[in-house]
Amino acid sequence: MSDYGGDDEPAFADAEDAYYEPDEPEEDLPPDVEEDAEDTLQSRGQEQDEQGRTIVNSDPNQTGQKPVGEEGKKIPDDKRSTTPFMTKYERARVLGTRALQISMNAPVLVDLEGETDPLQIAIKEFNQKKIPLVVRRYMPDGSFEDWTCEELIT
Amino acid sequence: MFFLRYLEREISIHPSFFGANIQDVLKQQLYADMEGSCNGEYYIVCIMDIYNISAGKVVPGTGSAFFTILYRAILWKPFKGEAIDCVVDSCKPQGVFCYAGPLSVFVSKMHLPHGYKYNPDATPVNYSGPDGDTIERGTAVRVQILGLRSDVTNLFAIGKMSAGWFGIAPV
Repeated sequence: MSDYGGDDEPAFADAEDAYYEPDEPEEDLPPDVEEDAEDTLQSRGQEQDEQGRTIVNSDPNQTGQKPVGEEGKKIPDDKRSTTPFMTKYERARVLGTRALQISMNAPVLVDLEGETDPLQIAIKEFNQKKIPLVVRRYMPDGSFEDWTCEELIT
Repeated sequence: MFFLRYLEREISIHPSFFGANIQDVLKQQLYADMEGSCNGEYYIVCIMDIYNISAGKVVPGTGSAFFTILYRAILWKPFKGEAIDCVVDSCKPQGVFCYAGPLSVFVSKMHLPHGYKYNPDATPVNYSGPDGDTIERGTAVRVQILGLRSDVTNLFAIGKMSAGWFGIAPV
């Protein structure tokens, strides 16, 4: 798996679909519909609200809805299927990242007890399950599972 | 013309700013970066609201956290042909420089209202019209935008006052 993860969208995911010739019977197609008045209104970006007023969206490139992020591809916590154990690679990455952050003055979440080496502090946080990082495991289809360092068994 | 638009901004935060108040740090950073800025197409006048701050992502190799902030802002985008009110900033032999908020507008001598003459010896230097009106530093004028030139971080306009209803703005 790539160190960066997530960007590896399969390039030929729909190659199969591209060569797929739809052979549905032609009479199944709906008859050519005449555009009725309401459809025309909608297509111009106008809607009627519940009080009958017409809402006109002045910018045709922008729908009234707020844009959304990639949150939709997240697998909910109760549907996760990967191992509950932290792999040695995840452990190495988590410890390395956390040590780097600590070396760059990030607030430390454990009692230092005179410790000064960032990696040792990171290991101490790790042993006390205080590392504030989340492991994101990507599936081949681009969806992902999030596991906190706290819940992963080491 | 003014617009209300959903925008997106990506910000990475150095580990030393991590902590419970990271949301405030992000908001502060967003306001400092974006309010009053221009991207060569429009000016961001004001950020209305921030409606989503994504979860932070670790940037590989640097340890900093990367956030995507979705916000809504009031924009001002000047258009060719639009009429705007400006304040005259300086009078030069070639014409008049004025400001409409952040936008600098140049009106050449040719495009001043009919009959205006340059008076280099007056204090302050002005253009005077046939009916005794003067255009000098501080005069409010109404200008039609003839053309726009954009830079990476700024906009410049040229305008005219020679058509009807343009020129010195009624008080």
